[in-house]
Amino acid sequence: MSEAEKTARPSTLAAQVTTVTPSDDDEPLQDELGKTTIGEGVVTKVAGLAAREVEGVHDLGGGTARAVGSVTQKVGLGDAFNQGVSVESGAKEAAIDLTLVIDYGESIPRIADAVRSQVIKRVEFITGLRVIEVNITVNDLYFPGDDDLDEERRSGVR
Amino acid sequence: MTTDGDSDLVLSGRLGLARLAERVIARTDGVTGTSGPAGRWQTVGAQQAIRGVLAVEDAQGRVDLELHLVVRWPPRMPLEQLGGRIREDLRRSAGTVGLRARLGAVSVAFDDVLSEIESV
Repeated sequence: MSEAEKTARPSTLAAQVTTVTPSDDDEPLQDELGKTTIGEGVVTKVAGLAAREVEGVHDLGGGTARAVGSVTQKVGLGDAFNQGVSVESGAKEAAIDLTLVIDYGESIPRIADAVRSQVIKRVEFITGLRVIEVNITVNDLYFPGDDDLDEERRSGVR
Repeated sequence: MTTDGDSDLVLSGRLGLARLAERVIARTDGVTGTSGPAGRWQTVGAQQAIRGVLAVEDAQGRVDLELHLVVRWPPRMPLEQLGGRIREDLRRSAGTVGLRARLGAVSVAFDDVLSEIESV
């Protein structure tokens, strides 16, 4: 989009357009001595690790993702910390979706708020990206003993 | 960070700068090492391959470096700042061993973050 087109729009819309699609010639991490790049996988992992720092978060990912993840991690193909995290990021901003499993008995709204704050704090500090949204889905509740039950099911013990 | 330890290096050109980068990476607090599967980003010398460091020399003898790094969780400073420190240290070190004029752009790519559990 040209500068003329941007300025011709109403100011609020122009602001949205310029925020969501930063121009290519505005690389924030580049100077004449070289550039610094941060892989998209890093942003994903930072978000996942930050979410896990919040007490009451048992795990990330949906049931299927966790089941598949546990297999792929055993054969060295998966990264547990990326499970349940989806990131869309541009040069300056990121939008993050998280799927959480929360410990039974914890307040879901309180944990969701704490996760959102922690993820924004970590991602913005570490990567320099502005986090425009953190969408949280609580997919499951963890009851103490759930893991033992899963192990028993997998090993065929009744 | 100190660059005094680099004066023992007998360095020349592309391979020398890649080795220097390897040393700078190893002494940078918060960086656990280099990334990338074997052969993807490396500089190959007569005796060893320097993994995670890509050194490209142009026709004028200027060497551009691309460093692929893994950092420890949680990083204590923004990655952009860490990249800048590495770049600065590398330039200072290159000056110590007389390769400052050969060093071109230094690109720093952060490819992964390693949690405490993964580090064990």
